[in-house]
Amino acid sequence: MNRRLFLSSLALAPLPAAAPGAILIKNAKILTVTKGRVDGSLLIRDGRIAALGTEVLTPADAATIDAGGGYLMPGIVDCHAHVGADAINEGTISVSSMVRIEDVLAPDDVQIYRGLAAGVTTSNVLHGSANTIGGQCSVVKMRWGKTAAQMVFAGARPGIKFALGENVKRSGSGANVGVALRYPATRMGVEDVVREAFNDARAYQRQRDEYQTRVAKGERVLPPRRDWKLDPLVEVLEGKRLVHAHCYRADEILMLLRAAEEFGFRIRTLQHGLEAYKVAKEIAKHGAGVSTFADSWSYKIEAYDAIPYNAALCLRAGVLTSLNTDAPVTQQRHLLQDAAKTLRYGQLTDDEALSLITINPARQLMIDDRVGSLEVGKDADLVLTDKHPLSLYAKVQKVFIDGEIFFDREQDVRDRAERAARRQALLEKLKPAPPPAQKKGAR
Amino acid sequence: MTRLFLAAALATATLTYAENFALRGVTVHPISAAEVPNAVLVVTGDRIAGLGAKFPIPKGHKIIDAKGLHVYPGMIDSASVLGLSEIGSVRETQDIEELGDFNPQLRTMIAVNPGSEHIPVSRAGGITASLVVPAGGVIGGQAAMMHLDGWTWEEMTVAPTAAMQMRLPSQETTVTGRAFGVGRRPYTEVRRRYEEQMQQVRLFFEQARAYQARKANPGLGFKPDLRMEAMVPVLAGKTPLIMLAPRERAIRDALAFAEREKVRIVLAGVREVDPFLEEIARRKIPVVLPDLYQVPLEEDASIDDPLDLPARLAKAGIAFAFGSYGIERPRNLPFQAANAVGHGLPHEAAIRALTLGAAEIWGLADRMGSLDPGKFADLILTDGDPLEPRTQIRQMWILGKPVSLDNRHTRLYEQYRKR
Amino acid sequence: MRQLLGSILLLAFVAVAQPPGAGVLAIRGTHIHPASGPAVRNGNLIVRNGLIEAIGPNAVIPPEAFVVDGAGLQVYPGLIDALSAWGLPAAAARPATGTNAAPSPATPAVLERRIQTLEDGGPEERPSNSSWVRAADLLDARSATLTAARNAGYTTAIGFPGGNVFSGQGSAYNLAGTRSRHMVIADGVGQMITFPVRGFGGGFPGSLMGIIAYVRQIYTDVDHYRASQALYAKDPRGLPRPPYDRALDGVIASPRLLLPAGRLAEIDRMIRFGQELKQPLVLYGGAEAFRGAPLLAAAKVPMLINLRWPEAERDADPFLKDSLRVLETRDLAPTGPAALARAGVKFAFYSGGVERAADLRKAIKKAVDAGLSKDEALKALTLYPAQIFGLDDRLGSLEPGKIANLTVIAGDLFDDRAKLKFTVIDGVKYEPAPEAAPETNR
Repeated sequence: MNRRLFLSSLALAPLPAAAPGAILIKNAKILTVTKGRVDGSLLIRDGRIAALGTEVLTPADAATIDAGGGYLMPGIVDCHAHVGADAINEGTISVSSMVRIEDVLAPDDVQIYRGLAAGVTTSNVLHGSANTIGGQCSVVKMRWGKTAAQMVFAGARPGIKFALGENVKRSGSGANVGVALRYPATRMGVEDVVREAFNDARAYQRQRDEYQTRVAKGERVLPPRRDWKLDPLVEVLEGKRLVHAHCYRADEILMLLRAAEEFGFRIRTLQHGLEAYKVAKEIAKHGAGVSTFADSWSYKIEAYDAIPYNAALCLRAGVLTSLNTDAPVTQQRHLLQDAAKTLRYGQLTDDEALSLITINPARQLMIDDRVGSLEVGKDADLVLTDKHPLSLYAKVQKVFIDGEIFFDREQDVRDRAERAARRQALLEKLKPAPPPAQKKGAR
Repeated sequence: MTRLFLAAALATATLTYAENFALRGVTVHPISAAEVPNAVLVVTGDRIAGLGAKFPIPKGHKIIDAKGLHVYPGMIDSASVLGLSEIGSVRETQDIEELGDFNPQLRTMIAVNPGSEHIPVSRAGGITASLVVPAGGVIGGQAAMMHLDGWTWEEMTVAPTAAMQMRLPSQETTVTGRAFGVGRRPYTEVRRRYEEQMQQVRLFFEQARAYQARKANPGLGFKPDLRMEAMVPVLAGKTPLIMLAPRERAIRDALAFAEREKVRIVLAGVREVDPFLEEIARRKIPVVLPDLYQVPLEEDASIDDPLDLPARLAKAGIAFAFGSYGIERPRNLPFQAANAVGHGLPHEAAIRALTLGAAEIWGLADRMGSLDPGKFADLILTDGDPLEPRTQIRQMWILGKPVSLDNRHTRLYEQYRKR
Repeated sequence: MRQLLGSILLLAFVAVAQPPGAGVLAIRGTHIHPASGPAVRNGNLIVRNGLIEAIGPNAVIPPEAFVVDGAGLQVYPGLIDALSAWGLPAAAARPATGTNAAPSPATPAVLERRIQTLEDGGPEERPSNSSWVRAADLLDARSATLTAARNAGYTTAIGFPGGNVFSGQGSAYNLAGTRSRHMVIADGVGQMITFPVRGFGGGFPGSLMGIIAYVRQIYTDVDHYRASQALYAKDPRGLPRPPYDRALDGVIASPRLLLPAGRLAEIDRMIRFGQELKQPLVLYGGAEAFRGAPLLAAAKVPMLINLRWPEAERDADPFLKDSLRVLETRDLAPTGPAALARAGVKFAFYSGGVERAADLRKAIKKAVDAGLSKDEALKALTLYPAQIFGLDDRLGSLEPGKIANLTVIAGDLFDDRAKLKFTVIDGVKYEPAPEAAPETNR
């Protein structure tokens, strides 16, 4: 709720209980994203949306918040961020599927608060793009002030990061001075790493199955070694773990789709996928989603054909499409603005534009039964803005997660002076003692 | 979809010569004066001939019915490297930084590549001109005001030396490294290096002054020196120095430097500017805003940093303009301006800073920045507020010529839309 | 020259020292703080053959005893550095590698196309691992750091090898003796994990999450190793022979796991990680123990507190002001021990990054000034470390039968101006000695 809260209070409960009781938010323009706009009220009960409509009966026990004619929209979902983690890349090897972002979640990272203040309530915290098969990602709710375990989006499908193209072959090219060469150095090598990894995963899977069979037959056999690197890849093969693949060029996108199909699994999302519009048909047919930037381009060769129409073209081709930040590469506070840009580039409708940062990324992460739109029964993850959220003049006023207020602009503004004063006082108090005057003759 | 088609159709009708025309039924936003609804704006040759609710349309002017649309002056990016860079990660496409510490003789305009894909992409965002600013060393070269249209750099050039780029030696101890890493350099070492470099800076300015004096009374054997020659308008106060100064001590240094050397400066990229607001206003030093898409400066900075900076500058009475500092984001300047409005900057002040305000800072308000008779016909025609992405930019004219809004992105869009 | 001088001085005091177990020492009429019980205002303490024989107002001084007049002195159990490098080779000289597979940094294998073999893992299998190394085997009885440590009032250290993720096993040893083998009290008291984050260039694991994943795999491998060996031991016929793996043997031989944790988020993370690994856990670091005390209490995990309190960077840029979070930690870190005591968390102090042993008492005093009772502070330097490492049957308090390690101060231990009078180690008295060479510390 307030940034200081984190320092003083630490809930010991293993999982956040949804805020109990009822809150009625009235006098709001409710943008449900999936079911049009409703001017009226929204009732939160036990952390869920209990009712919404032009007329909602106020329960006797409900606290009331007057939205003052502001807009209420679903909490924003960022399908690709590197916030709230103490490590991002295990870039030493080409397959680092054993590493987990969940192991290094950092609930004290101020970027969580900043994202939250911009209306982001859920982030897919991803491993970096230094290697072909990166680490396991973690879907979190931006519960600033809570513990790492309480950040985790309980029940979200596990995922893993893949990466293709320039970043992963950089370590093979010698471009990173002082860093040992690392296979692969080409896009051919990248495909090879993917296929080899899944070839191994299959062999490992067979070894495990064979062990089970032999044990079932009563044979005396040594158990196979549990390999934390191959386990998640087997889960990918079994469809239990979602693949989020960083990619840029159309050729490598197609390569990955085909490599996955060869091994019988699906790519869940193509992350960035700046040239996805060139192979949108193939992507739609495979069933992958695309999570892209609004208008970043030309910062490297593989981004030279990036166009701000990518999201619109993919969406029109029937691809499940979202916008992401790659925060801190671009900022979560600009996600609404990024969505608004699709009104210009491709002329999406308001609902389509909002869907790119709410229900679509929620679908991509397979958490759309819980978040991504304002519907009865869903988590009360809400963002209240003073103006239409797709106007750049709008500011986020309040953010709710599971019915609890986690950001309140008025509170934030009130706290600023007090925080600055506290910092100044500590700077004075902890000022290092001036160095002792040098004695004569001392050396 | 249809609207876009319309824009494309207009684009293909681009003419290679200026045709006199008049916009009719349009809401004119002159910036220098209040808006005029349902008005006429007349362009003769490359200049604005006049405007008004009842302004007579002279003979030989093509009439363009623009009912319901809005016309604004083209927007100006006050710090970019448009035409000097094409792809961020490719060294060979960079012409931004020359070797050496003191290069006032470098003329940036001649390195602006008119074929850069970034130019039409920026135009599509409503930008008609940009100050192209080099970098490198202490004095990086001459920043040129360039129109974003022209077959050659010569045709593009509005002012070859609108400013001289300068950056005082850095005292920053934080080094941003690769792969999310940040390093620290020991302060004493940084400070020592800084003092050495400052010595060089003072020496250079002394030499330049000596040259200026010699030039005023050239004796026998006076030989012009290209480097020193380039400094003369700076020392004479004709050309301002554009000085990048994000942090508190860099700003303090720049202010002290300008006072000591008695030169005009424009501060650029300021972040920690609050302690100096009063002084900057008093000394009438203009400011180019930092890229507002940057993250808050430090962990404790407010969540609004730096989006609320323009409002604070405006309140202090400081003249400022917007700058994108790159190639990728000039088209986002109007959006940054909108963010500033969302954080307290009056809407008129935001549009002014993108047009007339910028022209004033660069000494070009006599020819650009507002819709006044006699000024360049650099225009954008929109269907609404030019700061909002919801608005489409329908047509653009630079020097009275309709300019294509077509670009690499629309081309790829059209190409793959048909796949 | 200095080195030579050092050797001479060292010889000088070694000559005075007796091997453990010889002679009788008595301190008469002194103020005794046993740590395990109430103070004895005016009593005698008798040491025989390196062990404490008797304590109390009425303890009889044997006629053969060498008697020290204890008037004006205060006698404490010998101070224990709960995580130490004293007496061990400097970090750089310690084994940085030691693997069954590839040496660390372990990159060469990634140049190959083959990225994985099921038979022997990849380059990530056993790097940065010297789990079998024991501090006891590295201990140097002539190390100059021992003198400095004794001068600061310490008699005992729990020393750990450093440098690797699995750096090796800690050993408890006394800080004086003619031979290192006489100094050792216990050889393997725990495995210390360090997090040497090396970035991209140093081979796997290069990141915090890589290290955590690697540690997880090692403990998983340990389970598999044990199961395979057990099955094979039962009846080897018809089974493939499990490979010998000293990296896993070293882990198996370690009775507890030490994990680093400074920030609250790290304390929380490492508690959960230790629970996942099902290992008896000790955390070390503790800068934000003042925030993490309830978590540690709930999990019943002891904490070793680094006596180098967080401070401003040296040669810091005066224009870069630290964040409120950093400042609050710096301000409140010394209140951590008091918070741990209140929460009922077992904790001990360690020398950590304190560069001069002489500064240790000042650092301890900070915790006392910040609210830690002297009683708890004493325990955190004596009884608690002994308990944490399972050595309280022989160490950590003044009780008959325990090792005769004493710290004797001309005044209050927590008055950092009160002079150390002498230490007794294994029954032998050591006067403060001039320090020979600059210390090297962790």
